[in-house]
Order: sequence, then structure tokens, then C-alpha cells
Amino acid sequence: MENLLYKEFRLVTHPTVYLFWGLAAMLLIPNYPYYVVFFYCSLGIFFSCHGARENNDIMYTATLPIEKSDTVRARILFAVLIELMQFLLAAVFAMLRKQIPTLGANLAGMDANVALFGMAFVMMGIFNFVFFTAYYKDPNKVGKCFAAASIIQFLYIAAAEAAVHILPFMKYRLDTPDPEYFTLKLAVLAVGLISYVMLTIFATVKAVRSFEKLDL
Amino acid sequence: MNTVLQINNLCKSYEGFKLDNVSFSLQQGHIMGFIGRNGAGKSTTLKSLLNLVHPDSGEICFWGNSFKENELEIKRSIGFVAGGVDYYPRVKLKTITKATRKMYGSSWDDTAYKRYMEMFSLSENKTPAQLSAGMRVKYALTLALSHNAKLLILDEPTSGLDPVSREDLLEVFLNLADKGVTVLFSTHITSDLEKCADDITYIKNGRIMASCALRDYVNQYVVAKLTAEQLQQQAVQSASLGIRRIKGGYSCLLKRTDAPVLAQDLTAATLEDIMVHMEKEAE
Repeated sequence: MENLLYKEFRLVTHPTVYLFWGLAAMLLIPNYPYYVVFFYCSLGIFFSCHGARENNDIMYTATLPIEKSDTVRARILFAVLIELMQFLLAAVFAMLRKQIPTLGANLAGMDANVALFGMAFVMMGIFNFVFFTAYYKDPNKVGKCFAAASIIQFLYIAAAEAAVHILPFMKYRLDTPDPEYFTLKLAVLAVGLISYVMLTIFATVKAVRSFEKLDL
Repeated sequence: MNTVLQINNLCKSYEGFKLDNVSFSLQQGHIMGFIGRNGAGKSTTLKSLLNLVHPDSGEICFWGNSFKENELEIKRSIGFVAGGVDYYPRVKLKTITKATRKMYGSSWDDTAYKRYMEMFSLSENKTPAQLSAGMRVKYALTLALSHNAKLLILDEPTSGLDPVSREDLLEVFLNLADKGVTVLFSTHITSDLEKCADDITYIKNGRIMASCALRDYVNQYVVAKLTAEQLQQQAVQSASLGIRRIKGGYSCLLKRTDAPVLAQDLTAATLEDIMVHMEKEAE
């Protein structure tokens, strides 16, 4: 798997992945829907998968000494590593933001706090599930898969940001600067992380099953 | 003699085409040509061997082991080339090689890699897009030959190569066979097979028409040159396996055993004669 991941990062990674990692700095924008930072990450994954299709990566990989199912596992693990790096960098900028007193609360939506990361983990778990289960049914329709996954992501963002303005629990508990209600926010982070892991595992199992049946 | 590959009753249906109970076997150290016209099912069969195409039914065993249960070990012992390198056209060969080499670990033979790169005059600093079709095939072969594969499965490896390069490649096959490497390659350039193949498997419309030693197969047939009048004879009509219009008359493919009753102008059939006549007859 390590060698296959090397191949993914060496051959499959689209340059925008690195650029979009840098967009984690958008957490320093005073007022902004910060979920978009994580959406960019999925855009980088889409560009990489699109590039892989254009470069006929599946045929190349299929002839390597690996099991067919490892093609899927490696690609999803590759995406997970990109996503985790985005989360890590976002966490760095969220902490940096706290050191800048002039940057107050986010008026456009959820604050850059621990709960935001939990909610974003759910969003990325949903992306992984929708995108990869569709992608491995027919990798040639990568654009269609991304359209479906990103529409769901934007609906999720709209609902999550609207909830901050509408639901008192979200407004007065979760949309607050850290460390206020920190235990509660940590619980949201934990639930988000578990959801992300579960959705990604389900996506992998389903994608492997579809890919095994696929004729290349 | 060891059986390297055994295929039994392989079936795969698509809309308008099916592989129909494809069965054949391949012995160690042999070179087998897999022939058939475009769309006959050669690529589908070869892809099925590595589960790149999912067969509806049938059994595929490499060295007596089922592919499904031993995919990893079997793939390590095989070099598979589907045409030339049609992947990563804008990535330098050295980068593709580096990624590929890592996948093979200790079975990668860097000395062999360098030898074939030199033999085929390939530069690592070029990209596949900068190579001709023939050079791309050579690079694909170099990768396949650099991990000590015991079996090479090659889909149309000689297509797009100039005659000298084709000869070089056939020589490589012969040298590999001498060392016990088994080669299965599909082609529609039948003259290549006559130079190097031990066996042939002939597929027509998804069905195996023959799978045996090349010499035995070719020796079964003769070609008769006939006039229009001779063509009308009942004996010719019933014995003919295929008729083609040629300058000054017709050529007719016959079983060697049927030839004496008819024949005046007989020549030994080549593989191309057999294939062309039989395909023409099917039309």
C-alpha cells in the first residue's frame, strides 16, 4: 500500500491539491463561510481523479502487481491523506486566528472553532461516500460524480450555516469562540470524526465491490 | 512440460458480442501467437486473464493456481502489455519507471531495465508523448521485461513497429523463450508468428477455432489456384474452406487431405492464407 500511495502522490496528484492546502489560510478571513476551505480540498481530489482518467491511470495501475481492490483502497486513502492534511493546516490557521485579536467572531457563519472541524468532518465523510461510490461504478463519469457530491456538500454548507442563524443551540453554544462550551464542541468533533471514518469505510467497501465488477 | 496457463470455458457476453467457451493452454518456454481479426475477442480474452474484464464464467489458472485466489503472486510473475504506453503521456519515463520499480520491489532487475532501455534506444528524460507508437511499445516491453516475469502477455506488441524493430522484438522473444520465459502475444501480423511462434490460438467471433502447434496447424492446409470453371465443380464447392478472388482466377483454401481430388496448382498454405480465407468465408 505504501508503494501504491507513492505512485498516487507521484503520478496522480493534481498541482491544485497543494494550492488548495494553502487555502486553509482562508480561516484568517474575518467573515467567511469557512466550510468552503474544506470544499476546496474535495475540488483538488476531483481534479486528481479527473487527471487520472485522462492519463489512463486505471489501466496502468491494473497491470501492476497489486490486487484489483487495492487500486480503490489506495485512491481513497490518498484522498483521506489530502483531506487530513487540509484539516491539519486549517487547525494551524484556526489557532493562528485566535492570536490575532482584531479578528473577532465570524459574522458570515460558524466560527473557526473545534465544532466547525467536527461539522466539516461530516461534510467530507459525505463527500467521500457520494463521490467514491459513484466514481468506482464508472470512473469515466468522474465529472458527474463530482457534480452530485458537490451539490450535496453545498446543501450541507447552506443548512449548517443557516442553522447557526436559526437554531439557538447552534448560535449560542456551538458558534462561540473556544474554549466556551469546549466539552460540547469536543463531542461534536468526536461525532464528526467517527462519522467521517464510518462514511469513508462504507464508501471503500461499496467502491471495491463496484470496481471488482467493472470491465476495464 | 509445465502448463503455465490454462483457460477453461471462458465466457463473457456484451451486447452484440460474446466470448464463447474460450479454452486453451500454454506450455512453459513456448511462444504462442493469439490471432484473429479486429473485434474477434483477442483483447477481451487477454484482459479477462488478469480480471481487467470480468468473465461471466470459466476458469483461469496460472501455474495451476486460480487467478482469483492468487492475484498478487500471479501478477508479480507476469508482464502485461496492452498495446504501447498510453498512460501518463506528459510524465517523464524516469518518473513512471520509478513508480513502477517500487511496486515490484526486489523482483525488479535494474540491470535488465538499463539493458533494454539501451537496446531500444530509449531516453529516460523523454515523455511517452514524445515517443513514436513503436517506441512506446518498446518502453512498455522494457517495463514488462525488467521484473523477471516468467510469462509475458502482450496485446498487439508489434503493431506500429517498423520491420527492423519488429525483427528485434521477435528476437527478444526467442531469447526469452530460450531462458524458459513463456510469451503469449496477440497480433494480426501473421508473418511475425511464422518467424517465432511455437503455437497458435486462432479466435474468430469469440470462439476458438484452433489452438495447437503452429506447424501442425499450417500443415493441415493447402491453397489451390482455380479458374472460374473449376470453381463451379461440386467437389471444389464441398471441400472449400474459403475462396478469394485473385488476379487471374480464384484461390481456394483446402484441407491437405482433400487436395488430391481437385488439385492442379497447389501451394502450402501460410497462416495468413488460412486466416484470410476462413474470415472471407465467414463473411
